[in-house]
Amino acid sequence: MPVAGLDEWVARLLAESLSAWRVAGAVRRDARGALLVMVAGKELRITRAAPGLPFRWMVDDGERARTASSVTGLLRHVRTVVDPAYRQVRLRIAPLPLALP
Amino acid sequence: MRVSPADRIPVAVLTGFLGSGKTTLLARLLRHPDFSRTAVIINEFGEVGLDHDLVEASEESFVTLQTGCLCCTVRGDLVLTLEDILRRRDERSVTAFERVVIETSGLADPAPILHALMGDTSLAQRLAIAGVVTTVDAVNGTATLERYPESVKQVAVADRLVLTKTDLLAGPEDRSGIASRLSRLNGEASILEASFGAIEPARLFDTGADALGSGARSPIVPPRPDSDHAHEAHPHRHDQEIAYFAIVRDTPIRAVALTLLLEALAEHCGGDLLRLKGLVNIAESPDRPAVVHGVQHVFHPPAWLDRWPSDDRRTRLVFIVRDIPRSWVDALLAAIEAEVDEVAKRL
Repeated sequence: MPVAGLDEWVARLLAESLSAWRVAGAVRRDARGALLVMVAGKELRITRAAPGLPFRWMVDDGERARTASSVTGLLRHVRTVVDPAYRQVRLRIAPLPLALP
Repeated sequence: MRVSPADRIPVAVLTGFLGSGKTTLLARLLRHPDFSRTAVIINEFGEVGLDHDLVEASEESFVTLQTGCLCCTVRGDLVLTLEDILRRRDERSVTAFERVVIETSGLADPAPILHALMGDTSLAQRLAIAGVVTTVDAVNGTATLERYPESVKQVAVADRLVLTKTDLLAGPEDRSGIASRLSRLNGEASILEASFGAIEPARLFDTGADALGSGARSPIVPPRPDSDHAHEAHPHRHDQEIAYFAIVRDTPIRAVALTLLLEALAEHCGGDLLRLKGLVNIAESPDRPAVVHGVQHVFHPPAWLDRWPSDDRRTRLVFIVRDIPRSWVDALLAAIEAEVDEVAKRL
C-alpha cells in the first residue's frame, strides 16, 4: 500500500463512504478528471487545488465551494453535504498528540 | 506525576451481566498470592451495595465502593476515585498496590469506563489498561445475550471471556453452544472457564510481568493475526451487526498517517467503533512500535514499546465494530497513506 494513485484511492474511498453511511449515490469521474459525487439530485465536484495554494482539495456543490487540506477534511465536507444524519464532532478527542519516542 | 511506561500501574476491568459470577471470581482472585497488593474498585448499582462485603480482601488489598452506574452517570467519580487512591499510594497512607481491578455493575456498558481511563491525561500517564475480562454465565448466557444488549457489548469489548457455572451444564454440547455464540460475537477474545470462581490469575490479567516481555507495560496488544488469517479475507459478521476484522500492513505507516486515521475513525464512526486495538510499525520509529487503542470516539495516546515483541513487525489493527465495513476502513487508510506519501515526495 498504496499501489494505486491518490486520485484512485480517493474515488474508492468516496464510493465506500456512501455505502458505509447508507447514502444512495454514485461516484464517477468527468471528462476533465474531476470526481463527481451524485446523491439525491445533488452533485459535488471534487478537484485538486492548484499548486501553491494552502489547501489540496476543492469541493463544489454548485452553490458553495469549500476547500480541504487533506483527504480527511475532504471526507468531512462530503459527508456534511450528503448525509443529513451526520453531526460533526468538534470535540478534541485525543488528550495528547502523537509524540515520537 | 509522570512515570515511565514500565512503571505504569496496570488497571483491569472486570465486567459481566448480573449474576454472571464477577464477584465470586474476584473474591477467589484476591485470595491468590499473585493478587495481593491489588486495589479493587467495585461499582454497584443501587442504594445499598453488597458486593464489597462479599469480597474479602487481604490486608495488602483494599476495596473501594461506588454506588450508581459508572457507565451512565458517575463516570467522573471513577476518575476521582483513581486519583484519590493514587494520591494515597504516593503518600504511603495505603499499601503500595501493584494493580487495580475495577468491577463494573452488571448492567454497565464497559466502554465509558474505558473512556474515563483513557481520556484523562494524568491517569493515562500513571495507569495502563491491562485488559477487559467479561464473565458469562454458561447456563443462562445465551438467553441473556438474546435479551440484553448490555451483555452483548460486554462480550464484544472483552479481551478474555470467562465461562462461569460450567459445572451446571448438562453436557458438552451446551458448552459448545454458548462458546460458539461468544466466538461469533468476539472471535478475538480467548474463552476460559471458571467453576466457583477458580481460575489461574495469570490467565486472566497480566499479573505484573509484561505480557509482551518488552519491559514496558502497555495498553492491550492485539493477537497476532497470522493465527487467524480468515479475518483479513472475510470480515466476520455477527448478530446485532457487530463485526470484527483485522487490517494488516507489511510496510511502515508514517506517524501523521496514523494520526489522521485515528481522527477520521473517531469523527466518522463514533459509538459504532466498539474497540480498536493495534500494534503499529511507524516509519519514523522502526525499532519501537506504537500501541494504539480506542473505544468509540475516544483514543488513548499511543504508547511506545521499548522493542518489538516478536519478529513480526507488521502493523496489525484489530477492529470490533457495529455497521462499519472493513472495506471503508481499508479505503480510508489507503487514501490517507497515498496522500501522505504524495506530500512527502514533494518536500
